[in-house]
Amino acid sequence: MEKLLNKLLKTPWITMLFVVVISVVFFMVMKKNSRMETDLDKYMPQNHPAFIYSNQAEEWFNIKDGIIIALENKNGIFNSETLDTLKQLTKHLQKFKEINKDDVTSLYTADNIVGTEDGMDVKRFFKRVPKSEKKLQELKTNVENNEMIFGRLVSDDETVTVIIAEIGDGVFTQEFYNEILNVAKNSETKDTKIYVAGRPIVEGTMALLGPADMKKMVPIVLLVIFIVLFITLRSFKGTLITLGVVFFSTIWAFGLMAAVNIPIYAVSTMIPVMLIAIGVADGIHLYTHLHTFVDHNPNASKKEAVTDMLKHLWKPVVMTSVTTAVGFISLLTSQVYPVKYFGIFTAFGVMMAMVFSLVFLPAGIMIFGLPKAKKINMDEDKGGSSHSKTANSFAAWIIKHKYVSILGTAAVIIFSLIGMQEIWINSSFLEKFEKNSEIVQTDKFINEHFGGTSTLNLILDSKGKKDMFKEPEVLKLVNKMQKDVDNQLQVVGNTFSLADYINRMNKVMNADNEAYNTIPDDKNMIAQYLLLYEMSGDPENLNKVVDYDYEKLNVTFQLKSDNSKAINSALDVIHTYKDDFNKLGIELNYAGSGYKGLVFTDLILEGQIKSLILSLITIIVLLSLMFKSVKIGLIGSVPIIITALISFGIMGFLGIPLNTTTALLSSIAIGIGIDYAVHFLEQYRHNATNTDNKMIAAQKTMAHSGKAIIFNAIVVIAGFMVLLFSVFPPNRELGALVSLNMFTSFVGTLTIMLVLLYQSNIYFKKK
Amino acid sequence: MKTLKITTILIAIFIATNPASISQNLTGKQIIEKVYNRDTGNDQTSDLSMILINAQNKERVRKLKQFIKDYGTVEKKIMFFVSPADVKNTSFMNWSYDDESKNDDQWIYLPALRKTKRISSDSKSDYFMGSDFTYDDLGDRKLEDDTHTLLMEENVDGKLCYVVESTSVDKDYMYSKTITWIDKATFIGVKKEFYDEDGELLKIMTVGNSQTINGIIVVMKITMENMQKKHKTIMQLSNVNVNNGVSDSYFTERMMMRGI
Repeated sequence: MEKLLNKLLKTPWITMLFVVVISVVFFMVMKKNSRMETDLDKYMPQNHPAFIYSNQAEEWFNIKDGIIIALENKNGIFNSETLDTLKQLTKHLQKFKEINKDDVTSLYTADNIVGTEDGMDVKRFFKRVPKSEKKLQELKTNVENNEMIFGRLVSDDETVTVIIAEIGDGVFTQEFYNEILNVAKNSETKDTKIYVAGRPIVEGTMALLGPADMKKMVPIVLLVIFIVLFITLRSFKGTLITLGVVFFSTIWAFGLMAAVNIPIYAVSTMIPVMLIAIGVADGIHLYTHLHTFVDHNPNASKKEAVTDMLKHLWKPVVMTSVTTAVGFISLLTSQVYPVKYFGIFTAFGVMMAMVFSLVFLPAGIMIFGLPKAKKINMDEDKGGSSHSKTANSFAAWIIKHKYVSILGTAAVIIFSLIGMQEIWINSSFLEKFEKNSEIVQTDKFINEHFGGTSTLNLILDSKGKKDMFKEPEVLKLVNKMQKDVDNQLQVVGNTFSLADYINRMNKVMNADNEAYNTIPDDKNMIAQYLLLYEMSGDPENLNKVVDYDYEKLNVTFQLKSDNSKAINSALDVIHTYKDDFNKLGIELNYAGSGYKGLVFTDLILEGQIKSLILSLITIIVLLSLMFKSVKIGLIGSVPIIITALISFGIMGFLGIPLNTTTALLSSIAIGIGIDYAVHFLEQYRHNATNTDNKMIAAQKTMAHSGKAIIFNAIVVIAGFMVLLFSVFPPNRELGALVSLNMFTSFVGTLTIMLVLLYQSNIYFKKK
Repeated sequence: MKTLKITTILIAIFIATNPASISQNLTGKQIIEKVYNRDTGNDQTSDLSMILINAQNKERVRKLKQFIKDYGTVEKKIMFFVSPADVKNTSFMNWSYDDESKNDDQWIYLPALRKTKRISSDSKSDYFMGSDFTYDDLGDRKLEDDTHTLLMEENVDGKLCYVVESTSVDKDYMYSKTITWIDKATFIGVKKEFYDEDGELLKIMTVGNSQTINGIIVVMKITMENMQKKHKTIMQLSNVNVNNGVSDSYFTERMMMRGI
């Protein structure tokens, strides 16, 4: 290995050219093939039972997410102008090629079922916009008397009315959204304000905003890293080359992704984050060594310096990279494909960073020359220990006051374990936005006036028993459950099912008598009402609540929040009815994007925890093999464990919920923790062979690896702190957590791991 | 100059003496008029089975007994559900008027409620009993509601047919246009395509076998398929009687409640 590397040193230009040319090729492939995957359904494992069922149910009942367009008129909506705006906007939306005409619902399209003295009337609320005061008043009364409409399409205070346009998966694009916004804006009048909200908007905006914000922030992150790296390395060339390693490994990772035609998922944007945090480490260690060598041997040639650097460091560089890569490869156990890809391509990137560190970086030094030597006093006798006074005294202090580290670590672990109890999972999209952002404000506004912008679909399944949902007993139970969920939970604003149709029909057929707003006891009566509805209303409406054979029912719950706590609270109340339904031979299932999001987040976390444990075990085994000692394996894993624990603990205390991004961040704990530990351990082992004095070995290691580790931590922390100024909250969390992980990894390695290493007497037993 | 004159005269004579060319000169409107005015008898009794099939290929089968009588300015129709069991004896009566300005009168009797109720609906584009047919599709459309153009003649299933395009006069009508294939021999529609407001194909109606009963040709089976919703309705008649003199007493609320 060393020979090969040295051979390559003879032809630095060729090496350099080779790397650059391949990078250019990968870059071209990227430009041609790369595409962002914004359809969130594509992220979900389609063979998971919950998703299979939900997708089927979405097809059975035409369950889609709706864009909500709200028209507000503070003076009330029942005037010709607002109603005309509503009509024109409804018609306009129906003409969109992305929207199915029948999927647009508003007061203009809705049917009004009313009871009359001698029968029943089903008609549109209005076709021509009412002009006279009398007609407007009549419409107002009609709306107020229809609880299937009032509070659902028109707010209780009559100042807001909504148009709901349901769209299929993968329809949302930036252009489509802009067009909708444009249409909405252009329809606004002096008195009528228009708002656009709904899950597709939230999902779509998030998928666009996150990466867009990253695009803005990353150059600043890189700039800061560049500056700090320059200050620590004292070399412009060195900084450029080190960042080159990161840059090229990222290009190769994304280039390969494009070459094998895998789209860029939201989690893939974490790959550069990982590579920056991990990739600069090798460069820093190599340069730190080079500096030390040059400082000590100011007259050495380029070749000598680089050869010495490679001799000492190729092993730890390979070791850190392999262990890190293995850690990421353990993500393959995840059921979620984007996470698998994230694991594979980050591992690939890490391995490439290793190759570049060992090949490209030395070639760069050969071409551009060595950094300048810092003058040190060679005559002064250091008794074999290192030249850095700070490092010496720090190492001595840590070892002398070892209980500080031990107790500190114990305290931190307890603190973290307590914090972890508070951790919660959140699949909410909306809560990823700024509280005062327009999207959150609009959502809040609509939630204040209506049932809710998020939906949960409960699918009751009689497992093939026809006409089950014409049974009075069953519908009464459904009705009771709906009322119960609605009354018990503040967050549930509305519920809707076939029972609502039956209630309404029963009332209307009994001269609008409120006492009949119930499910009748006679099954035939229910069947006849349904037939009547089919004959006079739009039978399509029924298809959304019950299947053709009346063996499956879709109950919709409207929630005022899409966060996991809200969905789970509704699920909890629904679950109290599980036994009652099971007794009737009915199964409970769920559908809809909110529910899928919840299951998806659970899956990611489950996978993440599994892979964390798996990679920890693999890394302990690998370390044990590399250092031929189980003890070292265990000691080396300490920084990782501490980093992961603190990361989760702090999240618990700060109320940062676990979601796809923050969960994946725990991988960084492994990637960085292991790097620090390996460099430190390898250096310690090396130093131990030259001395009998544990303290000197520790001090030398501190001066050498310790310094590199601190540099590495400072550089990356400084870079990622920039993200704290991001406008997109998840990116801020990312910046904070990466910085935190870097910090704990470095503190853990230089304190508790050093103490454990020192106490273990390893490498000194035989002497 | 001279030759032109002679040719013109010759052509004129030829057209005037060729009887086949007279029928070929029917305009689209005339063809449709013949279709609408075809003698379908004054009254009819039959068993109707209506099969609704959705996109998942699930079926709903309804069997009814129906009585229809044409009173000139009004057509009365009464139907009794025979099955499924839970809607048995539910009856439905419809009076449809020739007068444009007058909406249909409709009654329904629900046996479980033991009451006859009037139901009203403001549009003829309502779907008939949850099927893919609107009331208009079932023959309530007026000749003047559309502009009819003869497009061409074409063979369908061995029958030479006129192909007529009918474009709605009312721009807000649910169909922008329909295209009908009409058997030249019988003036019975064989096939009809319905295009939605955006000009896209919405539904296809195909006419199945027909029988001559009491001298009147009765279409026994019609299929309507909604191409956009992948929903289909098959209407099949059996035990058809025509012009047997259906009593006026059938078309009363009393009859609806009594059942047959």
